[in-house]
Amino acid sequence: MAHFVYPVPANAQPGTAYSAQPAYVAATPAQAAYGTATPRPGQAYESYPAAHATTQYAYTTRTQVAVTPAVSYDQPKAYYQPAPAATAYTAAEAHYQTAKPVFTTGAAGFTAQRPASQPKPPAVQVTTASQSYAYSAASTPAVNTYTSAYNNPTTTQSSISGTSYDAAVYSAASSYYQQQQAAKAIGTWAAKKPGTQPFKAKPKGPPKTPQLHYCDVCKISCAGPQTYREHLEGQKHKKKEAAMKGAATPVVRGGHNQLRCELCDVTCTGADAYAAHIRGAKHQKVVKLHTKLGKPIPSTDPVLVTTTGNSTVSVPKATSSTISAVGAGNKTVAKSTTSSVNIVKKVVATPKITFVGGTTLRTTGAKTEEVKAAPEPAAAAKPAEPMQTSSDDLKDDEHLNILGEKDVAPVGHEYIEEVRNEQGKTVSFNCKLCECKFNDPNAKEMHLKGRRHRLQYKKKVDPNLQVEVKPSIRARKVQEDKLRRQSQKEDFWRRREQEDRWRDEMRMEEEMYWEQHRRYDMEYMHRGPMGMMGPRGPFGAGPGPMIRKPESSDDRHVNAKHAAIYPTEVELQAVQTIVSACERALKQTSDVLADSDGPKPEEKKEIKKEEATTDAKQTEKVKEEPANTNRVLKGVMRVGVLAKGLLLHGDLNVNLVVLCSEKPTRTLLERMADSLPKQLATVTEDKYEVKRCVEEAAIIVTAEKEPNPSCTITLTSPVMREANTTEGETVSVKDPPDVLDRQKCLAALAALRHAKWFQARATGLPSCVIVIRILRDLCQRVPTWSHLSQWSMELLVEKCVSSGGPNMSPGDALRRIFECISSGIILPGGPGLYDPCEKDPTNALASLTNQMREDLTASAQHALRLVAFRQIHKVLAMDPLPPPRFPRQRFNNPRKRRHTGSGEGTEEGAEKKEKKEGEEATTEAAATTK
Amino acid sequence: MRGRGGPPMGRGMMRPNFRPGPPFRAFIPHIPFDLVQCESTFPRAKSAPEEKPFTEALLKRNVDLTPSAPEQASVLALVSKIQTILDNLVVTPGAFEAAQIEEVRQVGSFKKGTMMTGHNVADIVVLLKTLPTKEAVAALGSKVQEELKLLEPIEGKVLTMLTNDSGFEMSSAEASVKCLITTIPPNLKKLDPELHLDGKIMQSHLAAIRHSRWFEENAQHSSIKVLIRLLKDLRNRFEGLQPLTPWIIELLSHFAVVNHPSRQPLAINGAFRRSLQLLSAGLFLPGSVGIADPCEQGTVRVHVVMTLEQQDQVCFTAQTLLRVLSHGGFKQILGLEGNASIATEMSVWEGVVVTPSDKAYEKIEKKEDEEEMEEDADES
Repeated sequence: MAHFVYPVPANAQPGTAYSAQPAYVAATPAQAAYGTATPRPGQAYESYPAAHATTQYAYTTRTQVAVTPAVSYDQPKAYYQPAPAATAYTAAEAHYQTAKPVFTTGAAGFTAQRPASQPKPPAVQVTTASQSYAYSAASTPAVNTYTSAYNNPTTTQSSISGTSYDAAVYSAASSYYQQQQAAKAIGTWAAKKPGTQPFKAKPKGPPKTPQLHYCDVCKISCAGPQTYREHLEGQKHKKKEAAMKGAATPVVRGGHNQLRCELCDVTCTGADAYAAHIRGAKHQKVVKLHTKLGKPIPSTDPVLVTTTGNSTVSVPKATSSTISAVGAGNKTVAKSTTSSVNIVKKVVATPKITFVGGTTLRTTGAKTEEVKAAPEPAAAAKPAEPMQTSSDDLKDDEHLNILGEKDVAPVGHEYIEEVRNEQGKTVSFNCKLCECKFNDPNAKEMHLKGRRHRLQYKKKVDPNLQVEVKPSIRARKVQEDKLRRQSQKEDFWRRREQEDRWRDEMRMEEEMYWEQHRRYDMEYMHRGPMGMMGPRGPFGAGPGPMIRKPESSDDRHVNAKHAAIYPTEVELQAVQTIVSACERALKQTSDVLADSDGPKPEEKKEIKKEEATTDAKQTEKVKEEPANTNRVLKGVMRVGVLAKGLLLHGDLNVNLVVLCSEKPTRTLLERMADSLPKQLATVTEDKYEVKRCVEEAAIIVTAEKEPNPSCTITLTSPVMREANTTEGETVSVKDPPDVLDRQKCLAALAALRHAKWFQARATGLPSCVIVIRILRDLCQRVPTWSHLSQWSMELLVEKCVSSGGPNMSPGDALRRIFECISSGIILPGGPGLYDPCEKDPTNALASLTNQMREDLTASAQHALRLVAFRQIHKVLAMDPLPPPRFPRQRFNNPRKRRHTGSGEGTEEGAEKKEKKEGEEATTEAAATTK
Repeated sequence: MRGRGGPPMGRGMMRPNFRPGPPFRAFIPHIPFDLVQCESTFPRAKSAPEEKPFTEALLKRNVDLTPSAPEQASVLALVSKIQTILDNLVVTPGAFEAAQIEEVRQVGSFKKGTMMTGHNVADIVVLLKTLPTKEAVAALGSKVQEELKLLEPIEGKVLTMLTNDSGFEMSSAEASVKCLITTIPPNLKKLDPELHLDGKIMQSHLAAIRHSRWFEENAQHSSIKVLIRLLKDLRNRFEGLQPLTPWIIELLSHFAVVNHPSRQPLAINGAFRRSLQLLSAGLFLPGSVGIADPCEQGTVRVHVVMTLEQQDQVCFTAQTLLRVLSHGGFKQILGLEGNASIATEMSVWEGVVVTPSDKAYEKIEKKEDEEEMEEDADES
């Protein structure tokens, strides 16, 4: 419900609107608590200031929290300022006195909204007290609204004043009620209670004093029964009656807020007009009549009529939508009865409440406010009577301001000429600026404050004068529109944020998924026969469980190219065979060597430990065997393209690394090379040729069967690296004389680390493996790119893809690599490529000469533009794929069918459809962005 | 060209031969690589090169490009006079019959503080309430000229007034002010090309107002202004960068200086290098997310005002310059030494041969079977 009442704050800052309601909720328990705890009929006055003390406190704290005190205090200032008005109204003082009973009903009206506190006799007292409590609670929304409306000065002010005002209503009503009790000292509480009701019942009730012939509907008295009857027959009366029955709110001229005098049922367009009405003879007459009749006299405080029709929430000048927060409760009532009446009562004591706030805030507040605020503490301290008068004084200038018209100081007194008659008595005034005349001093005052006059003044006298701009309907609409858009935008961002968070979470899940997957794959690769291609097949690096972007033309090309460079089944099989043969043969060789060397259990243990620290996976093979034989050859590992699953079509040379417990020597290599053929013969029937290649620290096994895959087995030992990092000299002393080339051994160790890194970082990254394969192909094809080492290329791709956001499509990823190189990452001034697999900071690109860097960059730059201009096929050295067709067309259009048939006959229908969609979407989107 | 757009932009209605296409999916632009954005992924593997001479050269060049105080003063004098005259016309609408002026605003490089030496032209946009007939523009021009002469009868400066497509230009010996005429937006629909100024030009003038406002609010950092001046100078000297409009340069400069994770403005050397890197990485190539125009409704990528060929040209010129820069050729790039041939001819830097990039874009010839391809080429 709250959001109905304050659409604007709700739009601007949804959170705040809701806080209005909690405020109410909070108020109710407080009141309930009060009801049980303190039914103290006699202590009205004591409780009253106390209640305000809390209020004040609440208000102060809140406003200090608020962002823009300056803004807020502007408004109150305007609110209390009008000194001249105050003096002018003192005449009406008596009237206010008489008006007091009204507040009883005010209290009733309020209690009606909270049935819980209404009934019991002491409850009257309780209610009043609770209302002051309600205020302190209610001040929360007030603050809220104005922080929220920060962007929007006009509504801000209005909603502030609206709420604080509204909030004040409650305590006002209560205080007046109390004052009334004390001052009049009439009757008992119980007697009072019925007095709270008649106002509500009044509209329908019959005239109570027959001798006066009072018409309740029209609020007039008739001289006699005859005239009274005539009046009742009359059109005017009927109209009014009908209007009342229809529960119609007074007709309001579009777009303007008006003040309404409940007593006379007169609407005025402005505060001044209202004041004039109150002072006017007609109003006085009605007041007199009502007093005579003993009828309740509604407050002289105007009721604000807004265009919304649900009446009287006090919103100065704001559009209906800025209705203040506290009005929530009122509104229900307003709807259920005709009851502008109910809400009428809210007005009075605003000055008091807000003043308290004002005084405490003097430090930040405006100066004028200070001046005004000064009398208040004194007043609050004094007993009832003085306080009442002071509040009445203040009230005068206060209550007329509920339209929120900035109470402007009249300007240009000096331009008013007084026209006197012969007796020297002032008969009329003449404004020289506006060239108009008035007979009435009131009218003069009003004119001085009026917009027209001020405009004239601004134009002719002081251009610095601020004249408020009258917001036109159009401007207001624009404003509302703006607010709405803003809230939509906020909404959008919030949603977006949520989506992002969601996506992040999803990504984490996805990573976990791949993590598991990888673990599984690793085991599979090391144990099973089909681990050849590493973690995933050619398209495996693709989608994952996420919904992906539509496939673009670039993606299609990349995928097609990838399919083309992916090794054939025969090749895979051949490589698989030779690798598994070598692995088994090496194991047996290891057994043989261990047997011949004799057991040395202690050493073995030591080595094992060392192994565990250096390379986690290494021991896999060895650990499988429980035999406690001493081994020189501890295990064999796949490295390079084989381990990373980057084999390409035509790649038949794979690498294995044998880890030795000691530094591998030439002797060891020869022994192995001698033993290996025999072992190979035992494990397989295929013929293999074994070559030793001492300078490479390797044995090369080549299959004699087509397609002649070969396997390079490199010997190395973790000890080599240890020696490297500790003092090289001391260790080298111990080195056997025929130790193998250290660089080769270190390279083999590095290859191991790279394989590990790759499996940890690159394999799980969508598109990463595909793009690395594509680039491997590029490096093999294009001489310029051949300088880029395999390892630095992998590093580069992984960095680019991982920094490019989640779920890059292959096409995007490839483009990003080119962009990265284009922006000079490998150029001499660039940051280089930090190698994560080395202990010291190492640039993986260090081996490139400047000319190579230059050429590589130039080439990537050209490739990037080719990709951007839809010539990715040139980069990939393939034929352009024809744009995919939507399958339905093939049936409709024979020409196109022929075309697609020839273009991508190998592809399946479903796949094509998918691709087609991707293509459509991108081209289409590109077209729309034009 | 066939509109194939889906619901967004309301192009769906324009399909002449509707094909039962797949459901519309949003165009997801590619976000180009930006080193500054992912610095953490690329930790420096070697020490940063010495940047001091480069920074000094940049600052020196900036000083050269900034107009001298007298120059600025003379422009300012003329601008303020004209502004006063036009303001008077706004205040007293009756004083001038041919047109009613709604508003007068300064725009362009003078207003933004990015004026270049030797280009002492300030721009003022005059927003007319009435329709901008060519006669009215000419009348306004003569009126302003007349008033100007009244203001300075003694000095007797030679003031010329020339009308052109966009309005008129008042020039004195050392400064000139372009008065760009436009009209209030509701009038734009009523324009008749026979009678009035071109609607497109007037819209661009309205955009200029927005641009200068955006600039005032967002791009007041002096690094941005210095970078704008340097890039404008680069554009003036290297033909390949000609397609970059001043507005693109401003946005690019703002982007390069401010748009990175820490939000701290980059130093001028970093920002200058970054602009070239961004251009080289294809920030303004088709498919790239580019920079969204902050002054237009919706998301308009600012580089789409360039043709595909121009986008290619800008990109490869920047790529060549970036390579020259990284081989130490900053003096040539800044125009302190040598000439503009480095962008188009092969050059040697410390033994490294830099070959200028060549265009990649080629117009795909129309084939009957491949309308798509042709569209692809035409689009964006």
